Amino acid sequence: MSNLELGLASFPVLLILIFLRIPIGLAMLLVGIIGNYLVIGSMNMMSGQLKNLTYSTFSTYSLSIIPLFLLMGQFATLGGMSTALFKAAEAFLGHRRGGVAMAAIGACAGFGAICGSSLATAATMGQTALPELRRYGYSGALSTGTLAAGGTLGILIPPSVILVIYAILTEQNIAKLFVAAFIPGILATIGYMIAVSIYVRVVKDAGTVLPRMPYTDRLRALAAVWPVMLIFIAVIGGIYTGIFTPTEAAAVGAFGTGLVALVNRGLTSARLKDAILSTGQNTAMIFFIVFGAAVYNGFLALTQLPQSTAAWVASSGLDPMLILVIVLVLYLLFGCVMDSLSMILLTVPIIFPIMTALDFGMSADEFALWFGILVLIVVEVGLITPPVGMNLFVINAMSKETPMIETYKGVFPFVASDMIRVIILVAFPALTLFAVRALY
Amino acid sequence: MIDRLETPVGWLAKASAMLGGSVLIALVIITVVSVTGRSLIAIGLGPIPGDFELIEAGTALAVFAFLPWCQYNRGHARVEILAKRYGIFLNNIIDLISELAMLILWSYLIWRLWAGTLDKMSNGETTFILQFPIWWAYAACICASAVILITATFCLARSARNLMQHRAPRLEGFHP
Repeated sequence: MSNLELGLASFPVLLILIFLRIPIGLAMLLVGIIGNYLVIGSMNMMSGQLKNLTYSTFSTYSLSIIPLFLLMGQFATLGGMSTALFKAAEAFLGHRRGGVAMAAIGACAGFGAICGSSLATAATMGQTALPELRRYGYSGALSTGTLAAGGTLGILIPPSVILVIYAILTEQNIAKLFVAAFIPGILATIGYMIAVSIYVRVVKDAGTVLPRMPYTDRLRALAAVWPVMLIFIAVIGGIYTGIFTPTEAAAVGAFGTGLVALVNRGLTSARLKDAILSTGQNTAMIFFIVFGAAVYNGFLALTQLPQSTAAWVASSGLDPMLILVIVLVLYLLFGCVMDSLSMILLTVPIIFPIMTALDFGMSADEFALWFGILVLIVVEVGLITPPVGMNLFVINAMSKETPMIETYKGVFPFVASDMIRVIILVAFPALTLFAVRALY
Repeated sequence: MIDRLETPVGWLAKASAMLGGSVLIALVIITVVSVTGRSLIAIGLGPIPGDFELIEAGTALAVFAFLPWCQYNRGHARVEILAKRYGIFLNNIIDLISELAMLILWSYLIWRLWAGTLDKMSNGETTFILQFPIWWAYAACICASAVILITATFCLARSARNLMQHRAPRLEGFHP
């Protein structure tokens, strides 16, 4: 087999291993190491590289942001800020039809501003908002669907662990990516609220209306979320103005959310232990996949496959937009069976060079930002699409009386809202790039 | 036999993760102090020298310390969509093979890390600012790796037990 054929053959092998439920990082490592051996003809090169590769991967400065953001998210869940956010959003939206569900979406967006992970956002807001939604007579379908979808805002609204990974893989500026995610994040929040509003008009009795709150009460409720605003401004503002490196900002954020949790007496020793174990487990999982991806991509680079494919696609004369749409649809389909992080690590090193070889009528940097946001959105849709949308499971497990099929039904309008948003963002790249162009 | 090891190995993996967590929290505090100091240069304070180097070495150590708990708790990401169709026997076989591959792989990786440590020791490489020998950081990671090997061996034995006793494996993996 030629090197190129080896590279090509590695895909089906890797996919078979992954679908046999071999841990994804392990599968990438095995295929990468064996593939390297087949290309080189001996283990010498791999053995030499591995003297330093584990340590140098795990000690990469830009990657150290990941455990810090995970810790920040864990502390945020303990700080009682989810309740304050929900009460504030409810004060402003509760009197509308479906208002409590809209408030849950708004609170998820607010929580997403201090938490970079989707599942943590869904789980935390679920604990806070699910009992309230049920108490006000919202149907199980709408309640669970709303919170599962709202959780994805945790990943879309900066800070975002997935965007950090994308930025590292494609050597982009993390601050610019966070800025680029901002308007799509707000669009997502509004889109989800519209989805709620349509849902309660189509399905009668799905939700109730609360009495209108006077403005003084609304402002009082809003004032209670000041720690969230302060931490968000410190973290994102600090990165944007260059006062902090992104890693430092994550550490400051972890410190801030930790402090709030401590003051609000959420940080008991038992909870601190759980927070650390959860941070540790996810950190180890992510770094193991990052390491596997480094070895596997090293092998792919040896086979020249990404370069050859990129050159072939660029000279094929295919319509760039068509290729973009195909890639996004593939991500959507894969997202239904695979977690978003593994998918990004597995595919971006191959897909990204191909995409940058195409001409979309914008600079390479702008394309990287736009493409990153689009990929982020389509992979997070996978978190709320059956059969293996993790957010659906997490939220459904919290609402014992709601059958899974109801949750599937309840999330449908939100998935539709996601689809419409992707189409809008593909059609109007300026929506994503506007904020970056204005600020940089 | 395996059942009696469940608790001590789990305890060891947890203790290792807690150690990693302590390192991480220390990094948070170091960074906050350093950033505060940097912003107060005007009144004579300054950043902690070499804070970047501490973060790099600390993160590597924390990750090595977190890995055993992740494996013990079956935390590595997998695609489980087809798992139910495989049935108990095939799932147990797959687990056994994965855990065996994991043990062999980590033995190999740690052996290479050891070779890397010896390299760094003999060439006397130090970090740029703090000037501490890089092999110290490597050696710390080797120490943490001992727990990885113990946990990986236990996990292999655990999956062998599940296979022999035809126990249903726990089908879960955490997805971020």
